Amino acid sequence: MAENNTNQSVKKEKSKADFRKGLNIFLFLLPAILLFVGILIAPIAVSLYRSLQKWNGFTPGTFIGFKNYVDLFTSGSIKFTTSLKNALIIAFFSVFVQLPFSLLLALLLGRKYKGERFFLTVYFMPVLISTVVIGQLWLKIYNPDYGILNRALDAIGRGDWKHIWVGDPKTALGSVVVPTIWQYVGYHMLLMYAGVKGVSSDLREAAMLDGATNWQVDRYVVIPCIKPIIRTSVIFAVTGSLKTYDLVRIITNAGPTHKTEVPSTLLEDMLFLRNRYGMGSTISVMLIILCFAFALAISAAFKEKEY
Amino acid sequence: MKKRVISMLLAGVMALSLCACGGAAAEAPAPAPEAPVAEEAPAEEEKAEEPAAEEPAAEEASSGEAMTLNMWCIATESDSNRHSYEAAIEEMATNHPEITLNWEAFENESYKTKIKAAVSADELPDIFFTWSCAFLGDFVSAGKVYCLDDVYQNYKDELPVVMLGNSTYDGKHYGVPLTMNIVGLFANMDLLKEAGYDEIPGTYEDFIKCCDDLKAKGIIPFGCAGKETWCVTEYLESIIEKSVGAEELNNIFVNGATWNNQGVADAVDTFQEMITKEYFDPAGIGLTNDEVKANFMAGKYAFYMNGTWNCADFAANDEFKDKVKVAEFPVIDSSKSKLGQLIGGPSDTLAVSASSPNAAAAADYAMELGKLICHYGYLDGCGLPAWTPYGDTSAVNPLTQTVSEIVANADSMVLFGDTAMTADDAQVYLSYVDQVYGSAIDGAGFIEGLASDLR
Repeated sequence: MAENNTNQSVKKEKSKADFRKGLNIFLFLLPAILLFVGILIAPIAVSLYRSLQKWNGFTPGTFIGFKNYVDLFTSGSIKFTTSLKNALIIAFFSVFVQLPFSLLLALLLGRKYKGERFFLTVYFMPVLISTVVIGQLWLKIYNPDYGILNRALDAIGRGDWKHIWVGDPKTALGSVVVPTIWQYVGYHMLLMYAGVKGVSSDLREAAMLDGATNWQVDRYVVIPCIKPIIRTSVIFAVTGSLKTYDLVRIITNAGPTHKTEVPSTLLEDMLFLRNRYGMGSTISVMLIILCFAFALAISAAFKEKEY
Repeated sequence: MKKRVISMLLAGVMALSLCACGGAAAEAPAPAPEAPVAEEAPAEEEKAEEPAAEEPAAEEASSGEAMTLNMWCIATESDSNRHSYEAAIEEMATNHPEITLNWEAFENESYKTKIKAAVSADELPDIFFTWSCAFLGDFVSAGKVYCLDDVYQNYKDELPVVMLGNSTYDGKHYGVPLTMNIVGLFANMDLLKEAGYDEIPGTYEDFIKCCDDLKAKGIIPFGCAGKETWCVTEYLESIIEKSVGAEELNNIFVNGATWNNQGVADAVDTFQEMITKEYFDPAGIGLTNDEVKANFMAGKYAFYMNGTWNCADFAANDEFKDKVKVAEFPVIDSSKSKLGQLIGGPSDTLAVSASSPNAAAAADYAMELGKLICHYGYLDGCGLPAWTPYGDTSAVNPLTQTVSEIVANADSMVLFGDTAMTADDAQVYLSYVDQVYGSAIDGAGFIEGLASDLR
């Protein structure tokens, strides 16, 4: 009996201690939870709620179920599919042009060439410049009258290649893709460079002793080691492309004829120019879903090849 | 135990810091209104502190003493109306030393976004610039705008009631009209002379011949900013109006008539024919209005169709003012349209926020300020006066005087399409106009698309 009492009091003490421990953890987490819920979860929940409404932003909304989601893909005046297609094209170039180029630069700089620090700074510089400045800079480059691009084409005798780069429907999207790639090459390069530098020199040297060339070391030793970083870069590149906004707004203003429309510019137009806050919320929910889906798919794709 | 105490202390400090952050903002002492002068709020960051000033302002208003009013407008440094705002605000500061006006100016397109966000968040300043008709109508129907019927009684002798038509909803007045403007056909006469023309051609046939002659001389007839679709509407709406007539176009814009109108389709085709014939600078599709206007003033284009608010900038440029003339776009189909049918009307408006703590005082201030902006704007050549002109107006520039003559002989006016329509319809309409300028659709595609998407 006495033993039972002792056991019970020990259990009580233990559960009290557990409770206090849990309370401590909860108190520590509370500020972060409040911030997380207040800044991230609550706005998403409100967007989800508003996406089910017809709402002009000023007067009370009307519940319309999933009509906004249906209209998003069926209404000719909304152009969501066009915007999604454009975002995916930007994502394609980001993943298959920007990232390989970033990887190449990271691998080259990782070989400890002379001037490594200098080149690292130079390649990273566009990331530090304001996107508005970059947009204006490229607008000047593309200017049909005095832009350096058309002038250069004239100078090399290829005047027939001259274009109204941001105004021609055929070249407008390309004129957004190039600065986007240029701006973020340095960002991904830095991520990968950190990974390359983290690869043990023992592994490199062992491979070299086995007769591997620099490229073979990179191909069979370094790249497999930095695969988690490459995966992160791919996720950043794809989700960043889906959310792209600033350069498009500055360089082409989503034109001509919606040829460079992306979901974020469409979202802004819906909210602030067309007063369709319900539809704007629907686009924002779709963006969240797409970003999550792509992030999960990319993670899964990389996981399959990991052993 | 020691760990527990430390952890509890840390948690307490974190919680306190959160409370402290909230408390500091709420209890921050409101800055007392300073010298009663009008000043433009210099930076966005400083503006964040402004709401704290609202409470004392409300108290002071009730006691009839000093108060602070906030105003947003689009008279940026590069805007033609900038001087008229500055002069009017300076005069108001002299006339009403008890009122401090904090005003901020924003770029035209971004302002549309900003003002709508402010309406949604119920954070409108006391007085705000707006466009009349549907743009203001959305805010009025949401109950966000203060009714000016009472205060208008004090100004009805100076402001003709006809000028309030575009800001009247359900018989109540909600806006203070400033200047009124029409779309004008500006011409660089030096370039026209090179092609053998001393005047802007008055008939459509002569006008087209003039364009051909200009082209033959290597001069681009028109510049139009494709990056800002409203600039394309200045051309397209004039061509449609002079093809189908003002009444038919107004019925489509305002009265719900169908877009499925063959006359409109033909007019769009006429516009596209002008593009195909290379009357327009092909580079224009990728340029902003500021760039196109600069090109026109630099002598790159012979014609530039845009709002008559540009008269101020053109008249103020010593090198350019003697070269430029303004006229009405010629009639294309005289069986349906005639000279005197114009695109434009009073659209620029000041309104007062219904949630302003000093709404009645702000309404009175907005009326008087609107009158002065109109006065100085007219003297500067930024447009025609919506208010009855007063004082010596002989110094008004010749361009604006020509516009006055055109308006004096006007038969009817159709308000700018994107202002006349609701926000949603206007953006769909602009999207189709954009496609027309980019030759992505023709006249038939334009009317069919709009008929199905808008009605």
